[in-house]
Amino acid sequence: MKRFCCLFFLVAAMLIAGVSRASAFQQQQQEFPEPPKTQETGDIVLRPTPKSDNGIFKKNEEIVYRLKITNNTNSYKQGKISYLLTSDEGKKVRLDSVHLAIRGNSSKEILVKMLPKPAGFYRINFMVNTPDYDDTVRKVFGVNPQEIRSQLHKPADFEAFWKQSRVQLEKVAPRYRVLEREDLSTDRKKVYSVEMHSFDDLVIRGWLVIPRDGKKFPVHYRVPGYVVSLNPNMDSDDFIAFDINVRGNGNSKDVINIGTDNYCLVNVENRDKYIYRGVYMDCIRGLDFLCSHENLGIDTSKIFVEGGSQGGALALITAALDKRVKLLTMQVPLYADIHDNMNISASYDKQVFPFKVFRRYNDIHPGFTWDKFFSTFDYYDPQNFAPMVKCPVLMGIGLLDQFCPPRCSMALFNHISSNSKEYICVPNSTHEVNMEYFMFQNVWLREKFRIP
Amino acid sequence: MKTRRIFPFAFCLLMLFIFPYKTFAGFPIGKYRNLVVPSFSYYSQTDHFDVHGNYVKGAPGARFSSFSANLYVGYGISRRLDVIISVPYLYQVNNLGQGNSIISQGAGDMVAGLSYNLINFKYVRFLSVQVSGIIPLYTVPANGNSALGLGNSGTEIKLMYCGNLPGFIADKGYFNTEVAYRRYFDVQGPDQLSFLATVGIPISWHNQVSLDVSVFRSFSSNTTFNINYNAERNYAFCETTAQFRPPVFTPVFDVPRRLLCSLRDKYRFGLWRFGSNHF
Repeated sequence: MKRFCCLFFLVAAMLIAGVSRASAFQQQQQEFPEPPKTQETGDIVLRPTPKSDNGIFKKNEEIVYRLKITNNTNSYKQGKISYLLTSDEGKKVRLDSVHLAIRGNSSKEILVKMLPKPAGFYRINFMVNTPDYDDTVRKVFGVNPQEIRSQLHKPADFEAFWKQSRVQLEKVAPRYRVLEREDLSTDRKKVYSVEMHSFDDLVIRGWLVIPRDGKKFPVHYRVPGYVVSLNPNMDSDDFIAFDINVRGNGNSKDVINIGTDNYCLVNVENRDKYIYRGVYMDCIRGLDFLCSHENLGIDTSKIFVEGGSQGGALALITAALDKRVKLLTMQVPLYADIHDNMNISASYDKQVFPFKVFRRYNDIHPGFTWDKFFSTFDYYDPQNFAPMVKCPVLMGIGLLDQFCPPRCSMALFNHISSNSKEYICVPNSTHEVNMEYFMFQNVWLREKFRIP
Repeated sequence: MKTRRIFPFAFCLLMLFIFPYKTFAGFPIGKYRNLVVPSFSYYSQTDHFDVHGNYVKGAPGARFSSFSANLYVGYGISRRLDVIISVPYLYQVNNLGQGNSIISQGAGDMVAGLSYNLINFKYVRFLSVQVSGIIPLYTVPANGNSALGLGNSGTEIKLMYCGNLPGFIADKGYFNTEVAYRRYFDVQGPDQLSFLATVGIPISWHNQVSLDVSVFRSFSSNTTFNINYNAERNYAFCETTAQFRPPVFTPVFDVPRRLLCSLRDKYRFGLWRFGSNHF
């Protein structure tokens, strides 16, 4: 009996110890989450980790980073460790430094503490300078981003413009063509190629994937990133997956077939002919297709729209313009708060999309003023659509994103009218989110749609 | 010598059994979502081990049989908090031999409680705690013994850790481990400790196989032997269960193999010995 009890408690204790250790590790992670394991090379490596696991601090909370310094050389190093804190528009907030002395092949940690900051996003550059080595590690943190406010530059006839666009779209007969692609179908899923006529009578295409194991499914409606080709989405077992290639993307390049450098510039000087008018309407036409094909097992009461980058913007606009969308998930939405995006991007050492493209166009077109740019783009800024979104929303952002600065994404998010909205910050991501976000998105979707 | 005793016991004592009070792992159910799992089990016993670990053959014609149905209902109050209720219904025949038998039937011990997800490891693994109350749904006869259960209310606390199997073990699959302590509110207790480990791996789109290993020990000052495990207070067992089942449903159509030993005053030879040698 004693042996039985001993063995039993040994097993139980091992489990509990394992769990406690895991728990303690997690708590430690929450205090200072481990940065992702990457191949970092260099004589001296800096690994800063924010105290909050998602890089977001509260308004009255002290900003704390744990900075791990590793000397990968065999020799003793002396120099300086410093950090430069700026606003996300590059305005200097604080510069501080400490003396560095570190033995060869060793590491040490220091805590970097800053006073609480007002709501917003801040860039923090950690720098190491020795007589023979310099390096900088760039991070971004946020403070109460849900308090970020931005000005809406919404034209007076914004609603009328889009109402008129819908009217024009409705005048185009969709002439749907649905073709089963047995060569792409599997034992578990049927794949259809879908074709339809959209705004200005352009033909656009998409991919419909229907699980064979069931009769009626909610729909995962995916809209594309910037000049990205969407293919049949075979990953979703509990949803019908519909992926649309808007004009100029994927297999919808019959008329518009241009590269990434010029896509967003097509007719940028003409509000009525700008390419995104048709693109936004293509997304609505995709919804029209879904809602007119219930016979394929589409549960039209459960359509969720999703996209990343340009797709994030398209998803939001689709949900704003059409109440047939019941849930919206978007990652790193492009073009959000385009005015502030321009100001923030002006501070970058090197220009990145989208203002890299817009500035180049501005440089080579003397008559094209920024006022003219905004007189068109204000009709297309996703932020101006945000108040029209009423359905539940999930948004993911990367704090190191320069294409879609976190402030602009959060400004957009804060303008969304829905009273059921959540966001996730991924601190070490640039223009992307991580697997944890998608794991949560899966939970979130099942919760909202009550999917078993 | 022992080996020769145990193998006949294992193979001759045919028992098809699903422990009806089994719960459904530490995975959070999810906000607004629910889980309803009806299950049915059959248990039959003729022989047992005595206090010394000796195999005791039952009287000619004697057999204890139990048919039990169980309804488990869980509801996600929030992303972390679930409420669970489990209600068993028992039909038991204690055939004493020579044509004498005692039949008892009715609702058993209801278990109702709350499960809280303490830590979510990137939505891949979950550490949860569950606190439950045990409420007998039957009346206890004047002699104080009911065949449907101990007749006492009680409480249980359970720690659960579950999630996806690590990639180096299997691409797809899950595990669940549970450690529980249960206390019945009676001077005789019992106090019960249990440990359960489960590993499940899908073998096709609709089917999976899983393996359970559990160790159970019930401590009480009342060491009276009762062939009806529902009404016994002092006993132990170790079991393995191999299951083949649809991935969504848990044990509705399980055909587990359970090797259970009900021991009388098991102070020297518990089933652990049995298990440690041969599981």
